[in-house]
Amino acid sequence: MRELQIVLIATAVVCGVCTVLTVLLLLAERFIANYGRCTIDINQGARRLEVRGGSPLLGTLMEEGVFIPSACGGKGSCGECKVKVLAGGGPIAPTEAPLLSDQQRTANLRISCQVKVRNDMAIEVPPELFSVREYQAVVERIVDLTHDIKELRLKLIEPGEIEFTAGQYIQLKAPPYAHNEAVYRAYSVASPPDEKDHLELIIRLVPGGICTTWVFEHLTEGHTVSLNGPYGKFRLSDSDREMVWIAGGSGMAPFWSMVRFMKAHNIARKCTYFFGAVRKRDLFLVDELRQLERELDWFTFVPALSGPAAEDNWSGETGLITEVVDRHIADGSNMEGYLCGSGGMIDAAVKVLLKKGIAEDCIFYDKFT
Amino acid sequence: MKHIPQERRIVERMVPGVLCLEGFLGSDPRSLSEIIETDRRALEDIGLDCQSVARRLEKVYEIAVANLERPVQVGTDLEAVHLSAMGRIPCPWGGCGLWPKGDVVLTDRTTGRVYRFTALSMHLIGLHGFFQGRGHRYRLEPDEIARLLGLGKEGSQ
Repeated sequence: MRELQIVLIATAVVCGVCTVLTVLLLLAERFIANYGRCTIDINQGARRLEVRGGSPLLGTLMEEGVFIPSACGGKGSCGECKVKVLAGGGPIAPTEAPLLSDQQRTANLRISCQVKVRNDMAIEVPPELFSVREYQAVVERIVDLTHDIKELRLKLIEPGEIEFTAGQYIQLKAPPYAHNEAVYRAYSVASPPDEKDHLELIIRLVPGGICTTWVFEHLTEGHTVSLNGPYGKFRLSDSDREMVWIAGGSGMAPFWSMVRFMKAHNIARKCTYFFGAVRKRDLFLVDELRQLERELDWFTFVPALSGPAAEDNWSGETGLITEVVDRHIADGSNMEGYLCGSGGMIDAAVKVLLKKGIAEDCIFYDKFT
Repeated sequence: MKHIPQERRIVERMVPGVLCLEGFLGSDPRSLSEIIETDRRALEDIGLDCQSVARRLEKVYEIAVANLERPVQVGTDLEAVHLSAMGRIPCPWGGCGLWPKGDVVLTDRTTGRVYRFTALSMHLIGLHGFFQGRGHRYRLEPDEIARLLGLGKEGSQ
């Protein structure tokens, strides 16, 4: 009986201590870790935000409608959400350090999801991010373009329209599913900018990829999705130089947007579009691009296969897309190059274009990074 | 067994859904330290270390990437193809930068066996001695991949 009393008293004491500690922690959270109202000055007064301190900078900015690109959703793993912090950022956190080069540290860049707003801050962001918004959209259509590439057609519902430039990208949110947390992934817009109430995306399955697996295995027509954008500086220049476009796989997307934009706006700028694939089953939108080639005397489409099978009955260009470009372009000294695809393809294509005389500052690319 | 600093934190980032859909450990019930130590010994038995395997994988990777998804022969009866993918992935150890996604698929034509690895796989093997957990699609058995690449006592280092 006495032993039972001791056990009961001990249990009561432990419970009491735990309760007191919990109350103390809550009070600490309420009064000590309360950073109160803080001011975030963006781009030297271009915008001033009055915010409640205590949360990461990335999320705080998002709540105020300032979207910084982030692929991992603020988990500090992608390193995409860098912003220049001029004042009030505190020391670099251990979670930021691996994601910042010496040069970036010198330039005051910080990983915004790992910087807490604790006091007044001054930051700099690219001004074009002020036009980035969050959108809700309904999946209107999903089309299999190849065995591992799908086209999503989204109808924007809130806001109902988006302004973007052909070549820019958005970030699609994959919501939590199975054991995965929410992530954002970047996809170039494939539809032309004049179609403001719709967005088309071309998405290739990444084995083991959280977002693409969600798109391929869980997303169906009628689903509502979240996205934000537009982002990116990949776009047509203002010059009238002849253009060479080079792409592979889902790198098709920005060019599918650009060519339809140019057609709609009667921009008759000479352009040859080289699109590389391995086999015929990897090609898509060929009929549509051939049709544009017939309609537009300034546009030439050159699909090429690097490893056609006998059953492909392929009579078109063959070889690596860089070899095909090498054969087709004689003098590139008055041309511009536009590239979209894997890092390997971009690196190889840049070498070919430089060899052909295209100036380095006339080569624009959107790497799959 | 060699203790890995901050093993718990690293393993937390290796579970499915944190950095990638399938994580890094597969169905392997062993601890991270045990996986790494066992693999190190397997290589030691054939006179190799992780860095030499990583270096040979890097050569295969470079050849495959340069062929822009076209299959290419990288040894007798050994074919490699790089399947590009968008995005980069961080190392679960942290502090090692970001690695481009995209698989190199290595096919042994004599056995039909297929092996997959990525830029991150090469980094994990070379710097951390981690060949991933058994049952994972990117798991490479150290002695098997070494033999395949012509390394070790029977191969030509």
